[in-house]
Order: sequence, then structure tokens, then C-alpha cells
Amino acid sequence: MYTTSKFRKLSALLAVFVFLFSAPTLQAFEGDAKNGKKLFKSNCASCHKLDKKLVGPALTGVTDKYSEEWLTKWIRNNAELRASGDEDAIAIFEEYNGSVMSSFPTLSDQDIFDILQYTIEGDVKPAGTGDLAGGTTVVVESKDYSKQITLGLGLLLFVMVMLLTRMKNTLRLVQGEDPVSILDEAGWFWGRLINNKGFVTVATIVVTVLFLNQAYWWMSGIGVEQNYQPEQPIAFSHALHAGENEIDCNYCHSSARHSKHSGIPSANVCMNCHMYVDGSEITDVSGNLKYDGEGSPEIAKIYAAIGWDSENREYLENYEEQPIKWVRIHNLPDLVYFNHSQHVNAGQLECQECHGPVETMEEMYQYSELTMGWCINCHRETEVQFEKNGYYQDFHEELTEKYHGEKITAAKIGGLECGKCHY
Amino acid sequence: MAKKSLQQKSVVWSVVSVTTNRSTAMTENNKYWRGIEDQSNPELSEKLAQNEFSNEISQADFLGNDELAESSTSRRDFLKFMGFSTAAATLAACEAPIVESIPYVVKPDSLTPGIANYYASSFYDGYDFASVLVKTREGRPIKIEPNKDAGYNGATNARVQASVLSLYDGARMHHPMVDGAATSWGEAVAKAQSLLTANSVVLTRTVISPALKTAIAKLGLRHVSVDAVSQSNRADVYEVLTGVRALPTIELAKARLVFAVGADFLGDWGGENLNGAYAAARKPGSDMLRHIQAESGLSLSGANADVRIKAKVSEYESVLAHVYNKVASAAGVATVSAPALREDIKLSVENVANELIAAGSGALVMNGLNSASAEKLAAKTNELLASAALNTSKLDFTATGSDSDFAALLEDIKSGAVTSVMTFDTNVLHFSTAMASLADKVSLISIADRLDETASKAVVALPMSHYLEAWSDAIPVSGVYTVGQPTISPLFDSKSAVEILNTLAGGSESAIDLIKASASAQQSSKGWNALLHDGFAEVSAEAVSSGMIDMTGVAVSAPLKGLEFYTYTKAGMGAGNNANNPWTYELPDPVTRLSWDNYIVMSAADAVAFGVEVKAQSNGSMNGTTINITVDGTTLENVPVWIQPGQTQGSIGLAVGYGRTEAGKVGNNVGVNANALLAPAVNYAEAAVAASEVEHGFASVQLAHTMMGRKIVNEINLPTFLSGNAKEWNEKPTFESYKGPLTSFEANLWDDQDHETSHMWNMSIDLNSCTGCGACVVACSLENNVPVVGKDEVRRHRDMHWLRIDRYYSSDMTKEVAEEEGVGAIEKYAKMEVPSESPSVVFQPVMCQHCNHAPCETVCPVGATVHSREGLNHMAYNRCIGTRYCANNCPYKVRRFNWFNYQVNDKFTDVNPSQDDYGRMVLNPDVTVRARGVIEKCSLCIQRIQMGKLEAKKDGRQLTDGEFTTACAQACGSGAIVFGDVNNPKSEVSHLKQEDRAYHLLEEVGTQPSIFYQTKVRNRA
Repeated sequence: MYTTSKFRKLSALLAVFVFLFSAPTLQAFEGDAKNGKKLFKSNCASCHKLDKKLVGPALTGVTDKYSEEWLTKWIRNNAELRASGDEDAIAIFEEYNGSVMSSFPTLSDQDIFDILQYTIEGDVKPAGTGDLAGGTTVVVESKDYSKQITLGLGLLLFVMVMLLTRMKNTLRLVQGEDPVSILDEAGWFWGRLINNKGFVTVATIVVTVLFLNQAYWWMSGIGVEQNYQPEQPIAFSHALHAGENEIDCNYCHSSARHSKHSGIPSANVCMNCHMYVDGSEITDVSGNLKYDGEGSPEIAKIYAAIGWDSENREYLENYEEQPIKWVRIHNLPDLVYFNHSQHVNAGQLECQECHGPVETMEEMYQYSELTMGWCINCHRETEVQFEKNGYYQDFHEELTEKYHGEKITAAKIGGLECGKCHY
Repeated sequence: MAKKSLQQKSVVWSVVSVTTNRSTAMTENNKYWRGIEDQSNPELSEKLAQNEFSNEISQADFLGNDELAESSTSRRDFLKFMGFSTAAATLAACEAPIVESIPYVVKPDSLTPGIANYYASSFYDGYDFASVLVKTREGRPIKIEPNKDAGYNGATNARVQASVLSLYDGARMHHPMVDGAATSWGEAVAKAQSLLTANSVVLTRTVISPALKTAIAKLGLRHVSVDAVSQSNRADVYEVLTGVRALPTIELAKARLVFAVGADFLGDWGGENLNGAYAAARKPGSDMLRHIQAESGLSLSGANADVRIKAKVSEYESVLAHVYNKVASAAGVATVSAPALREDIKLSVENVANELIAAGSGALVMNGLNSASAEKLAAKTNELLASAALNTSKLDFTATGSDSDFAALLEDIKSGAVTSVMTFDTNVLHFSTAMASLADKVSLISIADRLDETASKAVVALPMSHYLEAWSDAIPVSGVYTVGQPTISPLFDSKSAVEILNTLAGGSESAIDLIKASASAQQSSKGWNALLHDGFAEVSAEAVSSGMIDMTGVAVSAPLKGLEFYTYTKAGMGAGNNANNPWTYELPDPVTRLSWDNYIVMSAADAVAFGVEVKAQSNGSMNGTTINITVDGTTLENVPVWIQPGQTQGSIGLAVGYGRTEAGKVGNNVGVNANALLAPAVNYAEAAVAASEVEHGFASVQLAHTMMGRKIVNEINLPTFLSGNAKEWNEKPTFESYKGPLTSFEANLWDDQDHETSHMWNMSIDLNSCTGCGACVVACSLENNVPVVGKDEVRRHRDMHWLRIDRYYSSDMTKEVAEEEGVGAIEKYAKMEVPSESPSVVFQPVMCQHCNHAPCETVCPVGATVHSREGLNHMAYNRCIGTRYCANNCPYKVRRFNWFNYQVNDKFTDVNPSQDDYGRMVLNPDVTVRARGVIEKCSLCIQRIQMGKLEAKKDGRQLTDGEFTTACAQACGSGAIVFGDVNNPKSEVSHLKQEDRAYHLLEEVGTQPSIFYQTKVRNRA
């Protein structure tokens, strides 16, 4: 009896395992979805999403519609496929108003399989309570109750003081004395305090120190514009572009890798996507079209800047361009030299390390202090990227020897010297 | 409240104005304080030693101000208002201003904000030619760099370096003008065409552009070219000889001995830049080039020469004739008759002739006199010696104007045969008084960059684009074709010169099409894009005939008995094309070390004879006597005189290009117009001099003219160098210690920085190669946003140049002479201060020495100047509080203090380019514009170092030597300055550091500088 039940349990487990591990083998492709995701982000994401139509169609289930062979041809060079007279290809081309998809001749077969695998698997949700509870996500909000607690305690104190006074007065009445009002009692206590030189001295010192302390912090905050969030001429959402659509920062801020400036994208960069995305598909909370099928007025500002006729889908000739006057958020004083490429390219920092969670910012704000202390701290802590950079080939050994294998930070190679930033 | 505070303000202002008046009055008193003058006025010296201020402000005067007495505001009120307004200003400043950031609407592909683009181009203004690279940032040209790969003159001098600022000159013509009123191009061209008739003349500077020549030919008019600095008679000689109007080129590499007569070939002679070849040929060694110069005034070439013979300009021909006669009789050829030479130079000239004969084909005679006889004598001497260095088949076309054509034109205007003249890029009414007096007889059409002295008189003035806005091409020398391309859209309503001339001739092509057509006609192997990329192409050279110099007609004129007057060019100003460019004025003349002026240069003996003096003032500036000078009936009044060691007695010179009235706010009324006395075609004339009462203030940047027997510039003669005993002639100072004698690098009190790991930047300056030309000084100003401060501030020694070129004269008194003659110490040092009458001259560029034990660093109370592990002395402007302790403690005196906010202060409106919207565009965006009250100094172009390192890091590769260099090293045409990493054993600078000639400036002080110098070697016994 015992053995049979054990066997049953084991076989049930085995069945579960077989089911779990056989699932991927059912797929048609031998692709690596993780790599696929990376490739998708860098090559496809500006026009495609998995679950939603963007410039191009939604890609979930694309492998069910077309053969692997056909997709490979299409992705690699769709123009050639269309030219060969492939009906499916021409049909898609026409469905999307003749907008041309870039060709990707450099992608290997394996790369394309990886991407397709990603369209099948989609984003693997992180294992959490949400998934276990039948797909509904439970968000635990940690609320701040400190105010309520303070208020409650204060109330309690007040009640206690009232009670004690009442009790004292009752005792006075019992002893045949006149009750003393609480204000008189407080006045008497205050008189004692104010006439106590020791107390006055200590209090004066405490108040002065507190005031100076506050003044010091207030003054050292002058010119520090952390959380500065000016209103911009266009209600541009980084949360939508960098967050939801996962467009790489460097796609728009392309000079960050090469130059001191990260560069605000020129309007023609916006037009790479917004030639097709006019915002008419945006829906409000209840799922209705937000602009009644018209283009978004915010996106229309880009069209006004560059002279794009969204009706006829063409650039206006001899149009006097209207530059977009963005309000600069991150202002460093002229006396400091900062170079983006030094940090992004040579230092291999992520943009978010200084700019914060930009991908969640509906409206951009200054995340970091941008004070010298803030720079210096980072230089003290950040390790130099020796291994991947041939520039350090000779110095690395010398420095390792000198610092006996300690962590070699930017500060140790001169990152704290005045002249590195001030000239 | 508000009303009261206004009242308060006016009172404060009046106080300020009172004190200013006082200080001006102070400087006008003639007080002397330096050198011998100290002895003549011991009371003042005593007073100066006691008091910080030379004159006290009388309290009675100050408090006696009526306005002050009337004021109802007490001191307490004043302080209250001050406190309130300070607090209010502080609070107001807390609010951060809203900064807009405006991206391109459509960004050009080639441009990344923050990254410089370089374009090859070529510069020619009728005087200088250079193949250049133009550095642009966000579409603005900000720096001119030499195009070292170019076929011809891939080097820049001070004028070419400064030319970028002329682009941003607001005084340029903004519109075409007809009768003094702005108009459209269509109307102006129509008006000009109506004025041009068959007998009109096109008057230009030398034209070397094939496209321009085509356009001028298309006009079908008589073409006369004339140069502001004329080489016409020299060109005449070679026109006969070769069949082409041009000058020969020089190959100094083939010469062993150069004898130059009045030819300032290192400064301003011809279009050819010989600095590089000269420095290369004069590398110390057994085959070092020997250079003998005969000249009147002390020129750059004379200053660099091994032997200098003082000859008057009127003696040049006879000097050449005597040399020729000696060479000719040795070769058995007929001699010419020549007047006898002065006794004191006779022997020297004879020796030169013997040396030339001995040097044979390695000898070269150069003539700088605009005289056919002189040129023929020089050329024939070279011919007889079979000089290998003179190349008469590769010809230079940059100075081919014809004085005789111009004289003929003047005659025709006088006679009425010519009634309209179209000038092109020549300010002929400024440099030719003859033409100016005839200006009323012709209708002028002027193609010019500004309404200068010529264009302002023109009926039609057509604005010509600056070379950085224009398409151009040129054949500067046989076999080399260059193009110039625009690097910015025209700032004003101007057009490329070639397009203007073509339009006037009825054409309608655009400038680029005209240049393209011209380029394709040149049939180079390079395509258009390759041509633009490189900036030049090799083409087939114009065929030249060869022959012998014909000596008929050679007449040697007799030297002037009386006082001779001549004109010359200065390193900064040249022919005067940058006359509204503050950098050309601020750059001190390499020899006189004076800025913002031209002046008569006069020998000390003549000065005594004419009662001329130059004296130091109590505030450290120099004042001098002026004279009235008359040549041929024309008088210039109140011309300042500078007493110049090395000047030939009986000969006075005045630099051209100054005395402008229509150049713009910077250049107007600076100096006097030398051409008013002497036309460019004339070499010299007899002058009469009369004393004038007016005193003149000079802007001198150097008061000590001799080295007082110290080893500042280490100078030796060639035989000493060849003896090889470097320990003797380049002795390192040592210090006695318990360990025995130690060098200053070993005797060490300080903890050293780690200079072993990573880079260690050093710089070598070869004093043997440095010719003193000043290109590095201007390049440094451009690169580092060095402010221009103007004459008054330079007079107070508040010049801001980060890099100066010190010039020292030798003195007749030396320690050896004193010992021999038994001269006492006081007299010895007094005499040592006085330069010799015929001094040898040395130049020494001095910038921050980046001491590894820096005296400045230890005295800074706020740590604003600190050392880096890469061997640099850093200066953090924002930390500096302006105590100036560092400047006081610097043994090299290279730290500069910002006395003003030069970019906003009214005092500098006329001189500082960053005060107007155009001039500001030239600022280098990678370098801070310093504010008032901070010290600044050479950073060894740290922005370039950082950028160079970053580029390597981005590419993931190691740095290579010479990948980047400092602005001064880059601009140096003679390669005197070498910058690099001494920790890289393969670098050039690490080899130079091991040279025998290497030494540190003031090494005995123990500062351990990162800059080191190479001993100067003279090729003489």
C-alpha cells in the first residue's frame, strides 16, 4: 500500500516534470529568447512591439502566420522579397501604407531565430506573488503612517494633561483650595523658566545653533537644483519612450557616446518614428480614443517645427523651421567641464546612474544634486574599467602593483585633481 | 526709500570719479625709477621704496569735494543701504535662471555638438600665404591650424593665426553700398557696371588665383596689380630671366652659408615661410647653416643671425656690389663700379665675400631691397657661386605686383585717360598718397571687406567675404594648386571675391561652380572631393626659361649722407591687412617688445644727437620723446621714437600698416601711416627731423633688456658645442650636502608626486630653433580665450598673455670684461643693464614651467593651484580668491591676474573681441572665460590633453606620441616647441630630455619644471 502511494506520487511528479521540460521542445525554433530580446530592443523596438501595433505590426504570434524561412528572408531584406513578387510581402507593405522596413543584412540566421523565439516567449515576468495568485498582480503599497501616529500621540498627551489638571483641581477642591486654571498654571511655570538664567542660556545656545545649522544647509543648497522640473514646450514623456517603448537612450541622445554633450535630439530624429506615429491611437483610461482619432497636439508641435504635412504625409517645401525651445534641466556652471562620452563610453556608466529612473519619468526632472561633492563621491567609489580598455594596457599593472591590489577608483588615477574638470 | 537709494547711488559714483581723476593726474608726472635713472633721482627711489603709492592723495582734495559735503547721507546710512542691497542681490541670485536649450531642427550629418570639425583651406591676403586647417565648433571657425601635409607653406605665422578673428569683425561691410548708402546686390552691381567703361582699370593686389584671373580677364579691362609691401623690382629681374613674373624659391637645406642683405626672410619676406627650413638647417652640428645678415634695423632675421653687419638701407646696394666684385674677380668676370664702403663695415663685408667664395655652391646671397640692381647683384653672385639653394625654376607667385604699371596708371589718371578704377582687395588710398590725391579724378568701385580708406571713397563698395566664408583657389608656387573652402555661411551680405568679379563681368555662376571649373582646368590627378579634403593638389608647373642674369643697367647708388628714412613690416601687423584685429596689436613686437604702436626706431647715438629720450615712469610704463619728421615735403607730426639697440646710425625706420582711420574701432588712430612719407615702391629717402613737445606713452612689456650675466638663455658658439664637453657649457647647478654635491632634482625637501605611473607631460623648447616670430603667442590667445587688454593696461604691465617671448640683448659689459678691466661691482651691474650698440639677440618663450616643486602651490591659502600626477600645475579659477601670493612667489613671472571683467567692462569695449556678439563667437567653448579677480596661466593646453586621452579611451587604444600637442607647439613653424609624455620612452620629448643641450630655466631654484630648454648655439667662433 505504502509503495503504491509513493509510486503514484512519484509518477505524478514525473508527469509534471515531463510537461514542464517538454514544453520548449515543442517550439519550431532553436532560439535563445534572452539574446533575442536584446537584439529586438536594439533593432526592432523603434517600430515594433510584441503586443501592440506601432509603426509596424505587433509581433506576438508572427511565427504562426508565416514560415520561418519566409520571415528570415523578410527580415534580412524585405525589399528584395517584395521585388521577387512575393504576395504576402507585398500585402504587408500595402497594409502599412508603403512604409519601408529597414533591411538587416548583418543579422545571422541564429540572430533571427533568437528574435523570433523572443516573439514567442515574450517578456518572462519575474517570479513573484503576482504570478502565483492566478495572474492578478497584487501591489503592496507601503504607506507612511508617521503623521497619523504623531497626531494620535499628541492627542493622547493633550487628553492626559487635561485629565491630570482636572485631577489636581479635584484634589485642591477636596483640600478646600481654589482650583487653578490651566493657563495660570502654565504662566507660573513659564515665569520660573524665563527667570532661570541657566535655562535661558542653554535655550539661546540651542536655538542659535539650530538656526545656524539650518542657515548653513539652506545656503549650501543655493544653486542646487535637485528635483528641478521645468515645464517643457512639448509634453514629452520619457516614461512612454524609454520606459514603455524601451527605446535606447542613445537612440535619441546619440552624441552622449561621442561628445561632451548628450545632445537633445533634433526634430528629424523624432520624425524617424513620428512620421508614422501621430498619436491618434492613444487611448484614455477608459479605453476611448483620446483625440477622437486625430493626431496628438503634442506630436503636432514636432510637425510644426519641421514642417511636416501630416495630411499629405510629406515635408512642406521652403518651410521656415521653428526650433523647439526646450528648457534645460541639468545646468552645470561654466567653470566646470563635463564630458558625457568620458562617462558613458570610457567609464561605461548607465545613464540612470546620474539621471535616475528616467524610464519612469512622465516629466523629466533633475534627479541628482549635481554638486561637486556628489561628483567627488562617485569618483571615489567608482572603479576604473581597466580590463575592457586598451588605453590602460600599460598602466593597469603599474597601478595594481602600486595599490597592492586594492580597488582602483577614478580618484586613484587622478579623478580628484582640480584640473581634470576645471580649465 | 527707493528715491533715497537712487540719490545714494549718484553720490557713490561721484566719489569714484574723483579718485579716477586723481590717478590719471598721477601718471602724467615724469618720474623715473629704474636703472640709471634711479641714480639720477635718488629721492624718488627712496620714496618709492618707502611707499606703496608714488603720490599720496591729498585728504583736503578728497574731502573738499562739494558734492560730498552737500550729501545728506551719513556713513551709517550708506552701510545700511549697502547691506540691504547685498542681501537683496544675494536673495535674487538664489533663483536659478531659465536656460533654454535649442537643438537643430534638422541636424547636419557631419556635425556632432561638442566635437570639432576640421576643414582644409588656404589663406592668401596679398601678403601672406598659408595652407591651413580650420577648426570649427558647431559651425563656427574658432582656430586656424597649420596644414602640415600641404604642398606649400603648411605653417602659420602670427598674422595667419590671428586671421580667424577678422572674420568676426563687426566693422566689416554688412551690405553692398552705393554712394554711401546700403543697397541690394542687384542695384550695386548694375551701378558698378554702368561705371565700368572700356578705359576702366582693375587695380588689385597680387592675384594668384586662377579663378580670379579668369574672372578679371572676362571683364576685358586693363589689370594693374600693386602690393602694399612691394617686391616689384625684384620680380622684374626674374620676369626677364624666366619669362614668368615671380620670385625664386629658396631651399635652405642645400645651403651652408646665407648672407642676407636687408632680407627679413624669417619675418616678412615674400610669401615663402622659411622658418621651418631655417630651423632644420641650423640644427647644431658640423654642417650647421651659418647666417650673416647685413641690415639697417634689427629684424627677426638679423636677431637670429650669427653675424650681423649694420648697414644703412642706402648702403645695401654697395654692400652687395662689393661682395659681387670680390666673387666676380675670383671667377674672372667683369666687376661693377661701386662707391666705397664705410670704414667700419668694410672689413666685415670683405670677410663675408671670402666666406661665400669658400662655401661655393653652399653659399646663398639674399637681397631684400626692392631694387633691380641689388637683386641682379645678389642673383649674379649666386650664379657665379653656383648656389644650390636658389631655385629659379620653382617660382613663388605671391608678390608680383608691378610698381611701374601702377606709376603708369597714376599718370593716366592724371591725364584723364582713365576715369574709373575698380579696386579689388587693396587699400590703395591708404598706402599710396599719390593715388589718394588723385582719388577725386576717378569714380571708384571698390571690392573690399570693409569701408576702409579706399572703399569709403568709392561710389560703389562691394563687400567681399572673409576667406573663411568664401570659395577661393590659388597657385602660390610652381606646381602647387590650392583651394579654400567656406567653413561658415557669410555673416553679412557678402560674396566670394571670385563670384563678385564674375558677376560684374556678366557671369551668373556661383562661387563654387567657378572654383570647380577652375580646379578641373588644372588637371590634377585628385578629384574634387580629394582636393577639398587635402586643400591642395600637385599640378604641372608653368614652363620657365632659364638663362644668365644680364648685368647691363646695374647702377649702384651712392649711400645717403644725411639721415635716411625707410619703412619696414612688423611681425604682428605685416602689410596691415589685419588692421582691426586686436590680437595683432596686442602681440608685442618680438624685437622692441612694444605693443599697440608703431614708432621710429633710432640708434642710441642718433637719439643723443636729436635729444630723444625714452624713460621709465613711476608706474613702470615707458614714455618717450616724439619728433616731427619731414620727407620730401611731407611732415608727420609727433611720431614717437624708440631707441633701438642694433639700429644703424643715420638710419631711422617706421613700420607700415598703422595710422588707419577707417579700419574699425580697434585699429583707428593707432600709430601713424608710414606710407604717407614713403611710397611702397621707394626703399628709402632723406629725412629731416625736428623735436616735438609732445610726450608719448609706450606699451612695453619688458623693461629688463639684458640677462645680467645669468644663465637664463644658455648660449654657446658652435666650436664649444662640437667640443662635446656638455658638463662645462651646460653646467648643472649643484648643492653641497652630506651626501656630496647634489643636483636640484636630487636635493629635495618635499614629498614627490608619483610621476612614474601613467603620463608625465613635458615640453622641450629649442632656443636654437625659436626665431621669435610670435605665432605661438597668438595661437595661445586663440586656444585659451586669453583676453585682450588694450594699450593702457599693457602700459601697467597687466598684459594677459599666458606665453611671452622674452628677448635679451647682449651687453658690452660682462663679468669677464669687468674682471679684466677691474670694474667695481656697482658700476659693473649698472653697465650690464645697458644693451650693446650691436647686440646679439636671443629669444626665449616663457610660459608656466609646470614646476613639480611649485613655489606657487605652497603659498596659495585656498589650494586653488595644485599639482597633478601628470606633471601639470593646475589652476582652479573658481577656487581662486585673488590674493596673488602665487604670482608673487613665481620665479618665472608667468601668472596673470584678471584685474577686470574684460568681457563686460566698458574700458575694453574697443579692444576686447568678446565684448560684441560677433567677436564672442571666436571663443573656445572648451576653455573657461575667466572672471575678474582670479589668477590665470598656461595650463599646457589641458583641454587638449584631456581630449586626446579621452579619444584614446573611447577607441580603447594606447596613446601615440604626437597624437595631440599644445597650441603653441602646433603653431610653431620652426618646430622649436615639442610636447609629449616623458614616461613614454618612444616619445620625441623623452629623447630631447636626454640631450646635452637640455637645461631647466633657473634650475638652481629647485623648482623642477616640466618645461625644459635646449641651449642656443651660434655658428661663429
